Amino acid sequence: MVNTSSSTVGWFIEKRHNITQHFNLIDANEQLQAENARLRANLPESFYQLQDRLYSIEDTLYRKQYEYIPAKVINSSSNKQNNYLTLNKGAIQGIETGMGVISPIGAVGIVVDVSDHYSIVMTALSNHSQLNVKLKTNNEFWLLYWDGINSDYAQIKNVKRDAIFNVGDTVITRGGATQFPEGIFVGTIAEQTAVDGEQSMSLNVELGVNYNAIYQVYIIRNLMKGEQLEIEDRILSADEN
Amino acid sequence: MKTNTWIIYCINFILVVLIQGLVINNIEINTYLNPMIYPVMIMMLPFELNILVTMLIALVLGVSVDAMSNTFGLHTSAALIIGYLRPTVLKLIEPRDSYDTTLLPSIHDMGKLWFLSYASILIAMHHIWFFTIEILKFDQFFFILLKTIFSSIFSLLLIILFQYIFYKPTKK
Repeated sequence: MVNTSSSTVGWFIEKRHNITQHFNLIDANEQLQAENARLRANLPESFYQLQDRLYSIEDTLYRKQYEYIPAKVINSSSNKQNNYLTLNKGAIQGIETGMGVISPIGAVGIVVDVSDHYSIVMTALSNHSQLNVKLKTNNEFWLLYWDGINSDYAQIKNVKRDAIFNVGDTVITRGGATQFPEGIFVGTIAEQTAVDGEQSMSLNVELGVNYNAIYQVYIIRNLMKGEQLEIEDRILSADEN
Repeated sequence: MKTNTWIIYCINFILVVLIQGLVINNIEINTYLNPMIYPVMIMMLPFELNILVTMLIALVLGVSVDAMSNTFGLHTSAALIIGYLRPTVLKLIEPRDSYDTTLLPSIHDMGKLWFLSYASILIAMHHIWFFTIEILKFDQFFFILLKTIFSSIFSLLLIILFQYIFYKPTKK
């Protein structure tokens, strides 16, 4: 089926984006500036040196696992039942299906279709979307769904009644499903909805990302994805035998 | 029909698909408003046009709009539904002295009242089908209903506006 990642339609969409991108430069810049400020705080220069001598460290503990490919959102929707973004990077820039996508604010979605120059992202605002999330405070993990009604809120179902959390707690990505690193911001718990007589309850999560104002994103390449999937496959096939 | 008319229809077709894909799809005021303008293309086909040709045009139109809005067949099915029902609706609201085939079913040729009933029936059918298939949850019945009503009104306004901008009365 043809979609906005095809070259003909993508051409039109990109031409429109060339015009409309200038309308929201202020918002886009503010988002990037806020992110830069946050990242700058992590630079070595931002830390006050407590000890005089610096040590050069041969790093055997840390190895780079994630790479970030910047891309522009050239088409988006937020009022459908399945909302997709079209990005201006594709297979030529090394995008593959299954990669996670984040914005300067938080997790956005997963790449589901790629052409040579464009790719399509299924956002968290989709009936088929399942995001691995967890609570920042105590690492309780759940799946994040969307009920298709309000683009500001996503839902977590099947929360045990004895789970410890407060309204306003931060929800972050869980990591481990190869798409996102751990700890990418997703949203905050807005309310809990319990139905009488049911074992579990649901949570409404206020999403951090405003899908009406999403301009710049990063596609995450997990350098150890193949290794993880391979070993998981080995276990799965061992189970089957 | 003259070849000239078909060329105008082809230009209209491309125009409608581009307006829908590049402009109307970006009107995202809230969840209840999801306007669509492309049904106007099916509405404006000549009165006596064969149902098979109508549905063929609806199919191409639906696939083009689907391609622009990442909906994988939703618009196609809705367009085919109104393509199929259009002759029935036309028969239903036929004036006493039947249709003048030199005219088009536009707001200029057929009058405001006739066009309003014609367009609102087709738009309502189109939107009910579209949102029912898109959402497809029985516990969301009222959400589907409200979305259909609000979006239909919005689409109707856009279609009337479109008529005033792009169509002229047929000269007799």
